[in-house]
Amino acid sequence: MFSRILDAKSRQKSKVIGLNERNIKLIYPNNNKKHYPLADDKVLTKEILHQYNIPCAQTYAVIEYNSDIKKAWETCKQYSAMAIKPANGCGGGGIKIVKKDQSGNWTSSGKVISERAIFQHMAATIMGFFSLGSHDRVLIEECIEPHPFFHDIYPAGVPDFRIITLDRVPLMGMLRMPTDRSDGKANLHQNGVGIGVDMKKGRLTQVYDGKYYYNHHPDSKFIVKDVAIPYWKEILEISVATAKAFPLNYLGIDIVIDKNKGPQIMEINVRPGLGIQLVNKQGLKETIENKIK
Amino acid sequence: MDSQTNIKTVLLLVTIIALISIGFKIKPILKNYDDFNPNVVYKVNYNYFFKSEDKNTVVKSFIPFSNSRQRISAKKSKSDTTLIFSRQVSKNKNQKGVWRTGKKNTYHTLNYEFIFEGKEKYFQIPKQFNITSEKYSDYLKSTDNIQSDNETISNLATQLAQNTANDGEVIKNIFDHVLSIPSAPIITLTDALTTIKQNRASCNGKSRLFVALCRNLGYPARIKGGIILENTDKRTSHAWAEVMINETWVSFDALNNHYGYLPANYLEVYAGDEFLITHTPGIQFDYTYQINELNHISFLKMNSEELHKLSSISLWGIVESGILPKNALSLLLLLPLGGLLVAFLRNVVGVKTFGVFLPVLIAFSLLHTGYISGVVLFICLILLVGLISYPFDKIGLLYTPKLVISLTIMVSLMIGATMLGIKYNITWLTTLTFFPTIILTIAAERFSRSTVEDGYKMAIDKLFQTLIATTICYGVLSLSWLPSVLIIFPECILLIIATAMLLGRYIGIRWVEFYRFRPLFS
Repeated sequence: MFSRILDAKSRQKSKVIGLNERNIKLIYPNNNKKHYPLADDKVLTKEILHQYNIPCAQTYAVIEYNSDIKKAWETCKQYSAMAIKPANGCGGGGIKIVKKDQSGNWTSSGKVISERAIFQHMAATIMGFFSLGSHDRVLIEECIEPHPFFHDIYPAGVPDFRIITLDRVPLMGMLRMPTDRSDGKANLHQNGVGIGVDMKKGRLTQVYDGKYYYNHHPDSKFIVKDVAIPYWKEILEISVATAKAFPLNYLGIDIVIDKNKGPQIMEINVRPGLGIQLVNKQGLKETIENKIK
Repeated sequence: MDSQTNIKTVLLLVTIIALISIGFKIKPILKNYDDFNPNVVYKVNYNYFFKSEDKNTVVKSFIPFSNSRQRISAKKSKSDTTLIFSRQVSKNKNQKGVWRTGKKNTYHTLNYEFIFEGKEKYFQIPKQFNITSEKYSDYLKSTDNIQSDNETISNLATQLAQNTANDGEVIKNIFDHVLSIPSAPIITLTDALTTIKQNRASCNGKSRLFVALCRNLGYPARIKGGIILENTDKRTSHAWAEVMINETWVSFDALNNHYGYLPANYLEVYAGDEFLITHTPGIQFDYTYQINELNHISFLKMNSEELHKLSSISLWGIVESGILPKNALSLLLLLPLGGLLVAFLRNVVGVKTFGVFLPVLIAFSLLHTGYISGVVLFICLILLVGLISYPFDKIGLLYTPKLVISLTIMVSLMIGATMLGIKYNITWLTTLTFFPTIILTIAAERFSRSTVEDGYKMAIDKLFQTLIATTICYGVLSLSWLPSVLIIFPECILLIIATAMLLGRYIGIRWVEFYRFRPLFS
């Protein structure tokens, strides 16, 4: 351990960025704290995205007060599926996907759910149950249907792309995929896997599960190496457009590809994780230096 | 100049000023370095008052001397000129002060003052004792008050020695038996036999019985006399016992339950079954022991005034004023240092902890509770409260009220455990209330949330890391000389700010990140 630390100098060549350097060199100078809510509050994020006509899930309703729940529901009822989210939720808590089944009942996670239960969920969200006690808003939006491309790699859950941008330049990207052990979630630390992306070619590289590298998805065995990503050009375009729309210069942008509408911005993150370096087998410092050249 | 350079200049200046100020003090301090390192320092005064009668009058009193665990200094005998003071060494190497006067029918005051510096001492008690040599045969003899060959005592001793595997167990049995005898504040002389008959005794009866039982079974033993020093005036002296084990006199106090242990504030005055004061019979006589605890810096051979002169920049004035207790001052001074340590652990090493200052505060609590029992209690509390709060998480309660429930559970647990501890006499359970409740509650709450968000494995991993940080903090904060250094060199606080500024701009890879990103380094 100590010898490792002692020759830290020689290891600087690897150009890995750690948490300290990310905070001091990337986040603090590039992201002004007063603009954080634009990324942390999904309602504010979407307002800007809509304003700049950047593709993202259509907003059905935003509910701020309990008294507005019923009124908002009347306008949303017409849709056959929707995602109900807390505007300031953390760690994916409080997100409910509801769909109409053949007989017209609402279902959530495969089970029938009453309107009353949906209202209770919204009321709890407004009271801040999913956002550490502060008053929150409910965001009801279009439910995105993942592109078949994702299903080839792994057939369940919610996969998404993460693109890191610095000064409106996309630096690094990865595709996050659920696994058998991740319960539909695609986060690396929740047992999802990351798949590296060759930014120039728009092709997938290798799979990383937090310990080992593979050239296939560990569960479906689908070979990802050199698979071309559909809509890659558009993905880069909407990433740049998003980075330009926000006064935040260092961003992690989450993008999904909808079956019908193509790439959509899901959300943006002001403190993107560093695991993406491992997934791509490359230090961010090196990437930044290459981009500047 | 931009703000960066300004900050650097200020930092550099602050550091230089602090170092210069420290430099001025370092020489006299090195010169006065003391490797005795006492735990406690007291000023003790024997005050004796008497009226001489028609003949020559003599007052004799044992006086303490230095040994490996106590240092006696600044000895002064003050009295009126008609009293003649002399010192003599009597048997058992005891030292006696003798005051004589030929002046008849007059009132006299005499005063013997000294400074006591004491250290606590733990003795290792082996299972099997070596056979002691002839020279200790005196310590096996039966005497008037230590009737070791008496039948009752003999029977009791045989009974206590039954079913024991080794010498260590025999001594432990004797000790436990004498300890179990109810104590009573009996001032008159109680001999060993009376102690059994009355089944109650004060220190002198208990120590005599302990010595008698040891002697009966062939272990050389003797009475030890002295005073338990406390910050008060008192008239009671104390007696305990010593057993010769492998060429060492090992201390046992069967009244205050010190088994093979001599507390730092025990002033040893004499060995043997003696009286601290003897005087010509029939005279009017009265006495008090006036005892004052002195503030001290353990590693310095300097008294209060010398410390004052050392420098105006030291916190000795606060210690002396007595307004802020020394413990509270130490705590205050150690807090920033502990914080710096946690900052280092988090930002340079990469240890993840529940709460930023939790490890420091828990480490402080461990100083009171003791490390091992404290750590066990800490883990139990957090796990228990974390688990109990789990169903409340599931019900779907708002954050703040849920925290109130956790806090209430935490407080109830602490009080409950303390009550249990008192009822069944389990000391370590009663130390629970030393933990900073609110911080502990927040940690438990974070733990229970972490089990939901990151799973049990991650939550327990984080708890474990918190524990590592706590242990390191404990290791540093329990250094006894540390608060003293900070009192003499309060400039260190400035250096802490400077170091924290450096840490705050540290962009190196955290140590744990070398592990995390190892595929990228190879």
